[in-house]
Amino acid sequence: MLIDWFTVTAQVINFLVLVYLLKRFLYGPIIRAMDQREKRIALRLEEGQKKKDEAQQEMALYQKKNRDLDNQREEKLSRIKEEAEARRKEFINEARNEVDAIRARWHEAIQREKAAFLQNLRQRAGKQTCAIARRVLKDLANVDLERHIIRVFIERLRNLDDQERTALKESIRKSGRKINLRSAFEIPQDMAREIAAVLQNQGTDPVDLQLEISSDLICGIELKVHGRKIAWSLEDYVDTLEEAVVEALEGKRIESTD
Amino acid sequence: MRISPDTMIFFQWGPVSLNATILFTWGVMALMVLGSYLVTRRLSAETRLSRWQNFIEILVNGMRHEIGEISGQVPGRYLPFVGTLFLFIAVSNLLSIVPGYHPPTGSLSTTGALAICVFVAIPLYGITQQGFTSYFKQYIKPSVFMLPFNIMGELSRTLALAVRLFGNVMSGTMIAAILLAIAPLIFPLIMQALGLLIGLIQAYIFAILAMVYITAATRAHRREGQANQQREKGAWKDG
Repeated sequence: MLIDWFTVTAQVINFLVLVYLLKRFLYGPIIRAMDQREKRIALRLEEGQKKKDEAQQEMALYQKKNRDLDNQREEKLSRIKEEAEARRKEFINEARNEVDAIRARWHEAIQREKAAFLQNLRQRAGKQTCAIARRVLKDLANVDLERHIIRVFIERLRNLDDQERTALKESIRKSGRKINLRSAFEIPQDMAREIAAVLQNQGTDPVDLQLEISSDLICGIELKVHGRKIAWSLEDYVDTLEEAVVEALEGKRIESTD
Repeated sequence: MRISPDTMIFFQWGPVSLNATILFTWGVMALMVLGSYLVTRRLSAETRLSRWQNFIEILVNGMRHEIGEISGQVPGRYLPFVGTLFLFIAVSNLLSIVPGYHPPTGSLSTTGALAICVFVAIPLYGITQQGFTSYFKQYIKPSVFMLPFNIMGELSRTLALAVRLFGNVMSGTMIAAILLAIAPLIFPLIMQALGLLIGLIQAYIFAILAMVYITAATRAHRREGQANQQREKGAWKDG
């Protein structure tokens, strides 16, 4: 007999015991361990995802902050540049104004010097011209320059046209016959009398001729009565000379600037 | 020559006899339980785990997966029974390479006992799932005349389970013994290797067939339940 029923019963019992034991020692613990691991992994994945999300949020936040900082820096830089530019312009303007002021002062000084120089030149040239003319006339024609000047002046008085003569008469009358005669040199008495005579010959009453020596006049003589003036002097000649000198100076300056 | 290890008796006391089948079954049981205990006493729920735990997890997970595939249900309640069937038969067969060992599955008493367990488990699972009346109604379907045939079918498939496993394992042992007598050098080695393969395949077949029978017993109810639900839906729509 291939089947032993006692063995069959024993094997059934053995098998059921084995089922229980394996359930107790194998399936239960192993499945619990697997479930726990699965849960932990799921939990970790969830945590990981959460952390990743947080990290991404942080990253976005920091990126935004970085962008803001960059923008602020750019703004500050541009503001600083603008301020620097404004300051630069201000400094340039100040410097330019200063230079202009210095130049103006310098120009003024130059002008003053020029005027002084021309004045000086005028006086010296007048005196020298006068001296030369006096000497030349003396040497060549044995003529006294001053007397000759007075003669020319007297001639001019004599040859006044009608209109001028009328005006002069009127002026003399208005001044109470006081006539101021200025000259660069002393007028001899006879010449003074002659001038007074010429003025009386112009149809006026006897005049009170006041003589005055003035260094302003360059080798000349000047009659002033109530705002009216009749004169002769080297002034015109000296003016011409001065003009020539100025012209020469200007020309030289232009050349030098070229 | 011994056909069954039942005949190898170590101790006899009236009807109670301690034969090789029972003794080796205890050995296999002790080995399995001790191995399980050693592996599972220090289980790790972390991602780092020992090789043995890894191996056992793969095994258990594979069985759960297989049961789930066949039954289409949660494998938890079937695993201890079907898994133990597979593991016991597989370990019993694989140990046949140990000299002096006689696989208990080579005894018709063992395979019969296992088949009886399946035979009892099928209605137990069916009744738990479907209820007593509903389960036994299966036997008089499509008509009451089919009852004897259904009962015969149940009995014959249980017998087939027992005899198939016994025949395969016993024949493997027998062939090995015969070949050892005829050509004692290389050839028995090949047959031994083939025997291991057949032993594993038989363990798989036994467990799978048991699962298929159990599934058949529990699914009938589900199909009916689904049909009832569909009928209810139809009535609700018509209404």
